Amino acid sequence: MNLNIDAIKSQTFDAIVIGSGISGGWAAKELTEKGLKVAVMERGREIKHIEGYETAMKNPWEFDHRGRPTNMAAEEYWAGMRTGYTPAEEHRYLFENDKQNPYIEKKGGFDWIRAYHTGGKSLLWGRQTYRWNREDFQANEKEGIGTPWPIGYDDLAPWYSYVEKFAGISGQAEGLDVLPDSDFLPAMQMTAPEVHFKNAVDKKLGRPVTVGRVAHLTKPGKQHTDLGRSSCNYRNKCMRGCPYGAYFSSLSATLPAAQRTNRLTMIHNAIVAEIIYDEKSQKAKGVRVIDQNTLEHKEYFAKIIFVNAGAIGSTSIMMNSKSNRYQNGLGNDSDQLGRNIMDHHLGVGASATVEGFEKDYMFGSRPNGLYIPRYRNWGKDKRGYTRGFGYQGGASREGWGRGVGQDGFGAQFKESLTHPGQWTVGFGGFGEILPDPNNRFTLSDQKDKWGLPVLSFEANFGENELKMRQDMMNDAAEMLEAAGFKNINAYNGQNTHIGLGIHEMGTARMGTSVKNSIVNKHNQVHEVKNVFMTDGAAMASASCVNPSLTYMAMTARAADFAVSELKKGNL
Amino acid sequence: MLNRRDAVSRIAMLVGGVFSAPTLFAMEAKKAGIIAEAGTFTLTESQRKIVAAVAEHIIPKTSTAGAIEAGVPPFIEMMLNDCYKKPEHVSFKKGVDNLAKAKFLDQSHEAQVAMLTLLEADTKELMKSYAASKVKVGDNVDKDILEGAGGVPFWRVMKELTLLGYYTSEKGIEGSFEYHPVPGKFEVISDMKPGQKSFAY
Repeated sequence: MNLNIDAIKSQTFDAIVIGSGISGGWAAKELTEKGLKVAVMERGREIKHIEGYETAMKNPWEFDHRGRPTNMAAEEYWAGMRTGYTPAEEHRYLFENDKQNPYIEKKGGFDWIRAYHTGGKSLLWGRQTYRWNREDFQANEKEGIGTPWPIGYDDLAPWYSYVEKFAGISGQAEGLDVLPDSDFLPAMQMTAPEVHFKNAVDKKLGRPVTVGRVAHLTKPGKQHTDLGRSSCNYRNKCMRGCPYGAYFSSLSATLPAAQRTNRLTMIHNAIVAEIIYDEKSQKAKGVRVIDQNTLEHKEYFAKIIFVNAGAIGSTSIMMNSKSNRYQNGLGNDSDQLGRNIMDHHLGVGASATVEGFEKDYMFGSRPNGLYIPRYRNWGKDKRGYTRGFGYQGGASREGWGRGVGQDGFGAQFKESLTHPGQWTVGFGGFGEILPDPNNRFTLSDQKDKWGLPVLSFEANFGENELKMRQDMMNDAAEMLEAAGFKNINAYNGQNTHIGLGIHEMGTARMGTSVKNSIVNKHNQVHEVKNVFMTDGAAMASASCVNPSLTYMAMTARAADFAVSELKKGNL
Repeated sequence: MLNRRDAVSRIAMLVGGVFSAPTLFAMEAKKAGIIAEAGTFTLTESQRKIVAAVAEHIIPKTSTAGAIEAGVPPFIEMMLNDCYKKPEHVSFKKGVDNLAKAKFLDQSHEAQVAMLTLLEADTKELMKSYAASKVKVGDNVDKDILEGAGGVPFWRVMKELTLLGYYTSEKGIEGSFEYHPVPGKFEVISDMKPGQKSFAY
């Protein structure tokens, strides 16, 4: 290499963050605010906040297929099609084309939904935001499943609070051990049938129901408006990108915060092929990057590297970072890289129709629903499986779509569909998936168009998940029955895979020792101390609540540790 | 407690009963594990006349625009080509040709209504073998799944695409609903006034 000194200097930073999604954005914000010069490597194209949301303000009739994916899109977004919504016309531009980004599925299947652009999946997430509870961190150790977490609720609690205040989380405090309260902005309202349901389920079954906790600004504070963010406008078109910055994303919140320090450099189209390991110092010295368009290779250098490419992306970079010392992937003495893929299993629950409430309606489209916290295997409850599940759902009035299955046509039929129809209600479970070392991905011999290994997945539900699903279906029907709802349709989707929840976790787990895990209690690679993994990859178990808030808290905590170690001269 | 079989047969009775607008977009028709070819789809001029007439029967012009004025007939043809596959192409054309054979366009308005009423009843019978279910697949996202053998019958596709094409068109939305692209607030209403139009966003 003939790099001159100036070039090396321009490619050298205090810290490199790989990925600009929900955790990468946090790493960029925290590290720049603590005084570091940070480069964020984003493998995808640049999308600018507001002006980049090309479909955000379109009317329904401006979509040629009125939202539906075309046959061509269905073929190209074959993994996305399994979700039923990611290839929809209004937000397809924010998802990756699966045909151009292939992966291999061995026995079983794996739904790998990707979003390569500034902000990653933080533009597309469900925004449901829950703290883990105390038990979530202890269950592995108590039950001898996977490996024990080296941290507990108390380690994360102050960081949860810290990230919640900045992100802005709307919700109702309930004082439940199973679902610790966040620092909340005002909660969104429940509709009348939802209030009825909540009361019935509480009274008859003793299960609390709360309004969903979402990362939407219902009452912005100065920390939000300073970044140009404003209140939710209840359009519920979030996945197109929010021009109001009302929901939390890297684009609306963390990246602008990092930008205003003047210490952030965003580098787009930069696919990190590997982290460069320096045998002498036993640390990483930088990253080798491939420009996704020009295929040009380039190296960047830093004292600290945060790997935030999304669980699968982060781990595949580690696997591909081979050296004399680490022939099997960086930091992989335990052979744990790629193992214990987790997600939340879903596609199971029940729906029903609601009689009455004819005079109840709502104005605005709430980007949120109700949440039923876990109650199985909690307290005195004991089932024939371990862990538990929560539900998301809610009630709404039917629109014109009901006409498709109704009898009739003509003038009166046409007129009837202009009024709200009956209320319907539905709840779907989100179940915890246990870590299983055989649920894994590996690097295959095939190469993608950048010459990087195509990933090969082998992941299947276990006995525990399948048993849990019976309860998830039956309990949902039971709760709808308890509320007196009619025409109950209980379902337990059989054709779902791990990955469908797009909550991929594990593959570089946190643990107590270099022998059983990849990162330590500070999300620091055990023996490559200047590399930190703070996204879903580091999860040692999955809980049943949506994971993003926990990645945010872990990232802020790890960044704090990394900077203090750097200052002490330990990195 | 319902088991899965009960649940499926119960919903089969309600077939297609309760699709709400946002979820309709996400509907996928599964063909019992067979991967259908895409193929191309076009109609002849005489077939187009039948499709337009049927669409206008479903959504006629009243004080507000009808299906033809809202551009629904060409929308249907485009959607069949772009978003539907061979099984529906075949079943749709068969449905149009059956109407052609019955000299649909030569009939009086009343006779046309009677033919379509019969067609709807037959289709309902035909679709009893289809199972429909609403499945929660993500945070705040539902998916409707329609499972059955063979192509979705002509009348069902015709009706679905007429409603989709009409109620999401500019004329359809503005003539039918209170359109609030930026509602700005979420408020529950407990005293909805009689005749309240649906809010569209």
